[in-house]
Parts: sequence; C-alpha cells; structure tokens
Amino acid sequence: MEEGRRLESRVLEEHIQEAVGAGRRFLKVKAHGQHGIGGRLWRAAGETVRIEVHGTCGQRVGSMGFPNTCIEIMGPASDDVGWLNAGAEIVVHGHGSNGVGNAMAQGKIYVAGNVGARAMTMTKHNPRFDPPELWVLGSVGDYFAEFMAGGIAVVCGHQAQDPSNVLGYRPCVGMVGGKVFFRGPHKGFSGVDAKLVPIEDKDWQWLEEHLKVFLEKTHSGQLLGEISDRAQWQLLVARSPLERGGRRRRSMGAFCREVWDNELGTGGLIGDVTDLDRSPIPVITSGILRRYVPVWENRKYVSPCEATCPTGIPVQERWRLIREGRVDEAVDMALAYTPFPATVCGYLCPNLCMQGCSRHTANMVPVNMKTLGRASIDAKMPELPPLTGKRIAVVGGGPAGISVAWQLRRQGHEAVIFDMEETLGGKMASAIPKSRIPEEVVSAELERVKKVLPHVHLQQRLTREDFEQLKVDYDFVVIAVGAQKPRLLDVPGKERMIAAIDFLRRSRQDGAQVGKRLVIIGAGNVGCDVATEAHRMGAEEITLIHYRRPPASGEEKEAAEAIGATFRWPCVTKAITEQGVELATGEVIAAETVVAATGHEPDVGFLPETVALERGFVQANAFFQTTDPQVFAIGDVVKLGFLTDAIGAGRKAAGAITDILAGKRPRGDMGQMVDYDRIRLEYFDPRFMEFDDIHQCAENCSSCGTCRDCGICIAICPQGAISRKGNGGGDFEMVVDPERCIGCGFCAGACPCGIWSLVENEPMG
Amino acid sequence: MSSNGRIAPSTLSVKDLPWQIHWDKDKCTLCGRCTAVCPVHAIELGVFRKRLVQTSVNLKEAPSNVHEVFHGIRQKTDPAYACVGCAMCSLVCPNDCIMPYRSDEADKLRYHVNRGGQPRRRGGRRNVPGGILDQIKFIRISMLTDPALDAGRHEFELRTLLGRILPPEENLRLVREEGWIPPIREIYPLMIGAMSFGALSPTMWEGLQMGVAYLNEELGMPVCMCTGEGGCPPRLLRSRFLKYVILQIASGYFGWDEIIRAIPEMKEDPCAIEIKYGQGAKPGDGGLLMWHKVNKLIATVRGVPTGINLPSPPTHQTKYSIEESVAKMIQSMYMAWGFRVPVYPKISATTTALAVLNNLTRNPYAAALAIDGEDGGTGAAYNVSMDHMGHPIASNLRDCYLNLAKLGMQNEIPLFAGGGVGKSGNLAANAAALIMLGASGVQIGKYIMQAAAGCLGSESDRCNICNIGLCPKGITSQDPRLYRRLDPEQVAERVVDVFLAFDIELKKIMAPLGRSTSLPIGMSDAIGISDRSAADRLEIKYVV
Repeated sequence: MEEGRRLESRVLEEHIQEAVGAGRRFLKVKAHGQHGIGGRLWRAAGETVRIEVHGTCGQRVGSMGFPNTCIEIMGPASDDVGWLNAGAEIVVHGHGSNGVGNAMAQGKIYVAGNVGARAMTMTKHNPRFDPPELWVLGSVGDYFAEFMAGGIAVVCGHQAQDPSNVLGYRPCVGMVGGKVFFRGPHKGFSGVDAKLVPIEDKDWQWLEEHLKVFLEKTHSGQLLGEISDRAQWQLLVARSPLERGGRRRRSMGAFCREVWDNELGTGGLIGDVTDLDRSPIPVITSGILRRYVPVWENRKYVSPCEATCPTGIPVQERWRLIREGRVDEAVDMALAYTPFPATVCGYLCPNLCMQGCSRHTANMVPVNMKTLGRASIDAKMPELPPLTGKRIAVVGGGPAGISVAWQLRRQGHEAVIFDMEETLGGKMASAIPKSRIPEEVVSAELERVKKVLPHVHLQQRLTREDFEQLKVDYDFVVIAVGAQKPRLLDVPGKERMIAAIDFLRRSRQDGAQVGKRLVIIGAGNVGCDVATEAHRMGAEEITLIHYRRPPASGEEKEAAEAIGATFRWPCVTKAITEQGVELATGEVIAAETVVAATGHEPDVGFLPETVALERGFVQANAFFQTTDPQVFAIGDVVKLGFLTDAIGAGRKAAGAITDILAGKRPRGDMGQMVDYDRIRLEYFDPRFMEFDDIHQCAENCSSCGTCRDCGICIAICPQGAISRKGNGGGDFEMVVDPERCIGCGFCAGACPCGIWSLVENEPMG
Repeated sequence: MSSNGRIAPSTLSVKDLPWQIHWDKDKCTLCGRCTAVCPVHAIELGVFRKRLVQTSVNLKEAPSNVHEVFHGIRQKTDPAYACVGCAMCSLVCPNDCIMPYRSDEADKLRYHVNRGGQPRRRGGRRNVPGGILDQIKFIRISMLTDPALDAGRHEFELRTLLGRILPPEENLRLVREEGWIPPIREIYPLMIGAMSFGALSPTMWEGLQMGVAYLNEELGMPVCMCTGEGGCPPRLLRSRFLKYVILQIASGYFGWDEIIRAIPEMKEDPCAIEIKYGQGAKPGDGGLLMWHKVNKLIATVRGVPTGINLPSPPTHQTKYSIEESVAKMIQSMYMAWGFRVPVYPKISATTTALAVLNNLTRNPYAAALAIDGEDGGTGAAYNVSMDHMGHPIASNLRDCYLNLAKLGMQNEIPLFAGGGVGKSGNLAANAAALIMLGASGVQIGKYIMQAAAGCLGSESDRCNICNIGLCPKGITSQDPRLYRRLDPEQVAERVVDVFLAFDIELKKIMAPLGRSTSLPIGMSDAIGISDRSAADRLEIKYVV
C-alpha cells in the first residue's frame, strides 16, 4: 500500500527491485494480492535478502526466486508459491493454495499447513545444484507431484485436511524423478510411475535432521516428537524407465486358465462339442499335419508311347530293360504283344508310339522305336503253355488273324486259322512293296508263327453253312478276313482299271505290267505304294489324282515323291478311256495304265444275319465281339486301319475270349495316359538329333509313368524323407517317411517320369 | 510353356498375373518350405536346363555345348493357380530369397477369372484404398478454451449407450408410473462387429471372445462383440461372458434353436440382439457357407447336419414391408429375453437408410441402428458386389444423424457405424471422425483380423481367399492344419493391445476437445476436410 492506495504489481515490483538495488537487505511488504512478490532479486549480488510478506499475498510469491532470497509469508499463500523457483527459501506460515512449487528447480518451500492441488508438479533437479524441497506440515491436495522430475517433497500429515488421505487424489501421475516422504494414510498413487520403497538409514537421517529445520522455520518445534516416529513414514520414488512395464496385469495365459476355462470348462469355448486337438502347430508341418502328401504313382498311368500304340506295347518298359542291361528280355518281350515286332514295329508301322512320344512336347526327336523293332527279329519264342482244350476258329490269316491266334495260343487255347491263301500273312505277305521291307524279315517272322499256329488252307470261299459249322465245332469264331474287295469307281470304262491290291500282288511277284504313263486314282498310302512299285516296274510318268487334298502321308508319300510321282487334286474322274483318265473338267490325263486305289471293303457274304453289319463292315464292340456273342471280328473287316491296329485288335479280342472262357468279364481298356505336363524333359539333351543304337534310345527315354529308378526324388527331398525300398526280385518302391516329409512336392516337381503326385491329405475335423 | 505348346485364350504369362514371384537362385537353399506353405499352389519345384556354349580363346578349339540342370522355384501361370500375393513363401523362407511383387500394370488375370461362366468370388473387401474418413481432420484443438485435457494424465471414461434413450421427462414419468423403460447398455464405443463362427476359425473366434472377456473383466473396458450369424457355442451361451456378446440373427437363422433352448440356463442376458438385414461389403447379397466347410464342429454350433451348403439368403422370408418386418422382428427378439435386452437392426449403407431410420423413430422398441458401409469386409462374395456395390459410410451416417437432429431425437436412437473403419490403419481417427459425424460407436471386423491375427488382406487384392477356406493365417479356415497356426491366447492378447492402444489414441483426439466423460457424438464443428464438396456434403468445415 502506498498512500492508502494499492500498488499495482508492476509498481511494487519496481519498488522492491529499487530497494534491493539501493542496498536494502530486509524488506517488509504489506501485500494486497500483488503478483510474484520476492522473485528475481539478483541485484543483491549474492547477498542474502529477507522479505516478510504481510497481508494478503498474490499468486506466485517468490517465482523465479534466487538463491539469495528468503521469503516469509506471514499468513496463508495464494497459488503457485515458488513457481519456477531457482533457489529461494520460502516459508508459508499458513496453508498453501494450488500449485505450490510448480516447476521449481532449486530452493526450499516450507508450508506450515496444508496445500492445494498440483503441488510439487513438474519440478526438476538440475545436477549442478541441490534438489528443490517442498515441506508440508499437513496434507497435499489432488494431483500432487504430477510430472515431478526431481526434488524432495515431505508431507508430514499433521492435521491433514482429509485425515484418511494425506496425498490427495491420483498423486504422482507422470512422475519420473525425485522422492516423496509422507506420513499418514493415502488412497493410491500412479503405480506405473512411482513405487513405495523402504526408508534406508541414510534417508531417515536426512529426514530427521531436516525435519528439525522445517519445524523450526515454521515455529512448530513442539511437534518434533509426534512427527519423527520413523515407523509412521513412507517413501515414494519414481520408477526408472526400465521399471516401467506398464500396468501390471494378469497374463493372458493365466486369464485363460484361471478365468476363461474356469467359467467355460476344460477346453474353453468349444471343449464340449469337439475333441479335436486345437493346440498351436508350426507353419511347416509333417506327418498327419501336412496339408499335402506325395504319392509314388508308379505304373498308375500309361506312358504315351504305350497308350498311342494300337497294339499296346509298353515301349518304355523295353527301354527300361535295356537300361538295366537286359537287352534279350527287352527284345523277347515284344512277342508277348505282337507276332511281328520286326516287320511291323521295325518297318511297316508308322510308329504311332513315336508320334506320341513325350519328347515331342519339347521339340525333341522321339525315341526311335524302329531300332528296337528291327532288333526283335531275333526275339525268342516263349515257352507255350499246354493246350486247355478250348478251340477257336480264326477266319483269315492276315496280321489280325495271326495276332489273335498267336495271343490265344499263348494263353493255351487252340486257334485254327482258315485262309484262302497257301501261306499265312495276308496283305503283309502279298501286297507290301518290297522296297518297304526286306523279304527275309517278313518270312522269318511268318516262319516263327507258322511253327505254332495250325493253318487250314481253304480251297473255296467260305459259305454261310461252313461258318455255321465252325460255330458248332469251335468255342468261338473270329472273323479276320480283312477288306479285300476293291471299291471301284462306277464310271464308264471302269473295267479298264486295275485294282491296287491286284496290282501290288502282281508286282510283288514282279509280274505287273505297266505302261509308260500311269494314273493312280486315289492318292492315299496304297496309291503311293502302287506308284513306287509301278516305277520299279518301269513306269515313267506317274500321276496320283484325288478328289480332295491327298490323304497320303509318311514314308509311303515320301517314297512316291522320291520317284517323281505327281499329285494332282482336286480331280474328279468322269471316265476311263483308251487315252487315259477323263476328268469332270473335260481334261484327259493320258495313261496306258490306270490303277484304282480307292479303297477296299470287306467281302462278308458268308456271315449269318446274326452278325450285324454297318455300311459293309462288321459291327463290333470295344472287345471286338460282334452282335453274335460267339463271334468276334477284328482288323479291316471292322474298320480299315494300320497293321498295328489289326494286331492290337487281335490281342484285345484274344484277351476278351480268354476272360470269357475263364468265366470273367472282359477287362476294359488300358489305363489312362500320363499327363505330358508331368514329364521333365529338361534332363535330356535338346540338341540330340539321331539315335544310333538301342542303348542311346534307352538313355533318352524319360520313362513316362514308370519309375526310372534314377534317385532324383531321394536326392531332391529337402527333408531326406524318401528312400528306396527293395521288395526282392529286383522289385522296389520309393517310400516316404511321413514324419520327415513336409509336403513340399519337390519330388513331384523333379521327377523326370511323372511318378510322384502331390495330393491333399486326408481331411481332418 | 513347352516348346511346341500352343496358346489358348486364357494362356497367361507370369507378367500377366497380378503377383509375380521373384526368386533368387543364389540364395535359395531348396528347403521346400515355400511350396509346402503356399495356400494356392502357385509355386512348384521347377527343373531348369542351362546351356553354356563354350568357345576357346582365339577359337583354337571347336566350340561346344554344355548342358546343366538345376532346380528352383517356378511360378504357375494357370489362372486357377495364380499367386495371390500372400507372401507366406517369404515368411517361411530361411534365406529371404522369395517374394511376390505386385505387377507394375493392371493384370490380365482379371479377364480370365470367370471360367465356366462363374464370375469371380473372393473374400476381403473393396479393392479401393483410402477413403473420406482418412481425410477428415480434427480441427478443434482447445488449449485454453473448453478447457483442454491431457490424454495421458486425465481420467477418461469412454463409454457409449446402446439402447433406446427416452427423453428425461418421459423417463421420469415412467419411473413414477413404474412403466417399462427400454434397456440400455453402457458399452465401449469400439465394438467387434459380426463375424460368424464358421466364417472365422474356432481358434480365431475363441481368441476374439477371450480378448473381449479380458478387456471387460481385467481392464474394466465394456467391450462387446457380435456373434455374426453362425450360432453361438453352447458353453458361451451358458457362461457369464454372454453379457459381452451381441447375438446376431440373420436370414439363415443358424444356431437359433440352440440359443432358444439355452435361454432358461443363461446366467446373464446377452449384451444385445442385432438383426442383420444387410452387409456393407456385399449389399443385396447373401452368404453361403460351402458344404465342405460345414464340418462336425460348425454343424454342431449351427445346429445343422454336416456337409451341406448353408445359404443365408439376401432377404428374410417372412418380412414383407419395412414397418411390419422391423416391428415384428424387434418385438420377437425383445420378447425372448423378457424385454430386458436391447434389439436393433443392422443394414448396409444405402440411400434407403433414412426410410429405415424414420421407421425406427416411430418404434419405441428400436434400440439403435447399425449401418455398415461399402468398405466392410466379408468372407465370401462376388467381386462385383464387393467392388462396385454399396454406399460410403460417412455420408450415409451423417444423413441419418442430421435427420435425427431434425427430429430432435439425436440423443434417443444411437447410430452405430461400420465398414472400413481403420482400413488404412487409422482406427482411432476414423472412429473419432464417425463419432463426430454422429455415430454413437463403431464396429470393426477386418481391422481386428488384421491387427489381432495378422490377416494379410489388403485393398491391393492381396490374399483375399477367405472364401475357399485356405486362409494361410488360420483366421477363416475350418481346417485344423491351418487354424491351429493361430493360438487363441495370442489373438486375445492382441485384441487387448488393440483396444488399449485405440483407447489412448481416442483420448488424444478427445482431450483437446475438453471431453473426458461424454463422447463428442455429432460434434461436427470439431472436424474439417480440405475437400470442398465433401465438406458441403457432410456439413462440416472446409479447411485448407
């Protein structure tokens, strides 16, 4: 107050600063709510300045206080006493309000009563100086020591405002440093930030000693005895950063055991409705827990060569035997499937097996079957079983008839061939140009069959009566008469044409007569054969005509082209004249000789009505059984085809007859062909062009569908789960240890033969 | 492709696929883990031939060819085996040598995923990243006004009300007259939305429930979770944990006979009943649990025989008009628990939501309205439904809230919003935005799958194979070989982490508003957006 008027805080501050500057070291202030009294007194240059505050002090007494300053507030204090205190000693002879010591870093504050909310908050301890201290005789208000980062607070609990809680509501939130000594009950503090610790002797000594000072300063010395009972004191300190693990709470494992399962029952939520194990498993699993399982599907699928061979010869098996050094067995094996391995496989067959070879998928040359076919000329006759007493009549001694009779005999049944020709062999023996195959090969193989197959040489055409008699005399009759009847064009001058079959028969005996110019109507492979033979016989200008694109293909076509034959199409024949062939266009192709290679059809006048026909051919089912169950039909009489088709039909029919004789249902088709995608051809040399011998062939065969026993699966398995198990007699299998296998499918990916397959494991649950 | 292979219309190269596997030959140890773990068999061991042409210096010797064979990982290009980008291969690879990469251009596969005339179906959610919620900012940061609070220091009580709240005078009158007062639950504003037992694996479902129970009982957070439509395990129905469960009834009515039979034995009432009329991810479409997923366990819980298809049709059969259907259904469900349990419908966000809402305002029993936006997830749906059908949640919710405000009923019928909340990872921000737009709470589904169980799905069409039961994380599979990869206790722990962290983030957003006890529902003056049209549409502040 000055002259009865209240001084503004700014003016009072000026007065105090001036007084200190003028050397005053003791000031008495009669306050009237002025702000910040007693702070910032650096002008005393280190000399102690004492200030007594009487009246009603304002907020922030002693704020930014200097170490030389001692302030005594003679009554209660307003908010924020000692705010940002940097060293002043402040004594409050009454209660303190809110925010006592907020943000103080040095100095001491002594309060002779209780204090309000947020005391000792945001305090610091600068290591260069002593820590700040706050002494409270009574209790502290709510949110005490929030964000306290250093310093010492002492709460004596004497005549606390709330005797049941001397620390107020939620003390120590965010506290990171410093100590709080307190005496009396509390209602919790921030456990995340602070913890109670025992008071060490050193701490107690300090407290006891400084407690005396505090009580002296606040004129409360008489309380010393009451207050200095060590047993009543507790100490809170900030947790170190490493101790802050967040709030301690029950682990989920404990919750699951103690609460969850306890309420729901063993096995938790669904323990009562399932007994499936639900315990955690790794991502990569083995055994029953694998999602996928490799399966060694050896011989489950048929190789493409075997599947495409109408005769059904397991070609890859023969290469396997050769790889195993069992060349003789590989050669001999052929006779189990065909009586003509050399003639057909080695020479006359278009080798569908090679067309089907997996190697084509990588543009690699197919394994050459011809080499092995030709080597089969030396195949040894297997030992034949004794006769069963069952007898089958085979009508026709061509490749189909011989094949069925051969197979039936191998099963122990007697098959008698009835044929118009003197020798067996049909077209194969009589109508195949010599250029296509050395005669000795055909005769050698025919000799082989003749030794074991009885042959009745018919002197006249079979009649219906004869046929009915055969049915009586024999258990089964197989029709294999082929398609012998030339199909001639019905055009004027047709009598001038020579049928191709007749031409070829004659040329084979070198008895065909040809003119210089020759026209062949029908540019199929038979036409090509005629062309090459005609050339051999001396024809010079050879023309093959066809009404559409010529169907000729393969070796036959190449041979015809090689001798300079001309292919013309589309040419529709209108008439055959002396000049040659007159076309629908009016053009005449000059020729001395005209050969009709327009196909053949069966001559089946001897068949009873019980054997149904379809467009001139005999109707037969998949086993070549006709509509008369006792009668089978095979070869061209059923459908025109290759030699191998006829031979295969014979084998299948024989199989069906054998099954029926044994009282079984005829076995169905052979298995499914292996998928080309399963074969790995990367293991083979793509630049390999030509096979020299059977060993090269064997090495380059990927052995589709049949284990090559190469051991790649054993080697590639990352788990070492695959091993080879010998089953005696050279037989073996690849086995997987389920406990090691993780179902990666590497075996399936690496297998050259496509044996391994990765399948879904058995469903669980 | 083999050297003489042919191309078909659907023949694709690796380049054409959405995901390309990069494999490092030098680092690969051929351990087989990647091919063993791949859920869709997109990779296999390949045999590769390497050719070296050897020529001598000065060409002194004739050049020669050497072939070598090596093994490695090959990616399949058949559309049926296209990589889904889940990167489980990378996860299990010991040498970090394999990784799927997203194609640098639009894939060609999308034109070929309709074999047999069947359009693409998948799980996951809309393959469109981002959304309006991520753009909303909280612009009211009160420092000296309101006054501001400290999220870390102050105590908050984040709770919301689920149930019909009567005007005070009405409430007082009913108290005086001892009339019926609608039941109200005080729940946590973040709820786990409907995901059925069956859509989720048993381990995942149990993990979520356990986490919810923990939050309630150990941490005092009243979080609740909706069962979805797949029934509810008998033990849960008879446990005290049922009070944290919202039972859902939908068009398939699966498991409801078991629930009805359990009512006399229930220790606690369920939290609420949700009637599902629509799902944001596939509005207008129903669900189908394929027969091969209906194993013994699922069948038991759903109360059906094993091995049959379980369709949830898009519509309920016995409801013919909005008034009748909503009223009838709400009445029935209230009656089951003696009018002690709140009942509310859930619809997919749609332009017709206001009609539903207006109907609810006239129905004194309607406890709330839940709206599921287009960004919601699903276990299985047609791609076209997921990517192209539906309504964004923000504007739909906002329209509903403003409509309630117009009627003066914004404090009476709580709105719950769902569908892509946290789709970019911003769970608390999205939730707070929705709350300030007018939601009383939000529902999450896919977020919790991602956060609590490591779901790999994304808006870039990663994984998204929930529909075929091959979830590589075991979240949506019924195959023990897959779901046992997931430990329910660990899922529960993550659920707790998610909610605790969400709680802190939500407080960070709320504290500057000076709110600590009541949610800032509809406090739209606190949000803004830098998109003028969006600001106008949502009636919030435009800020740049």
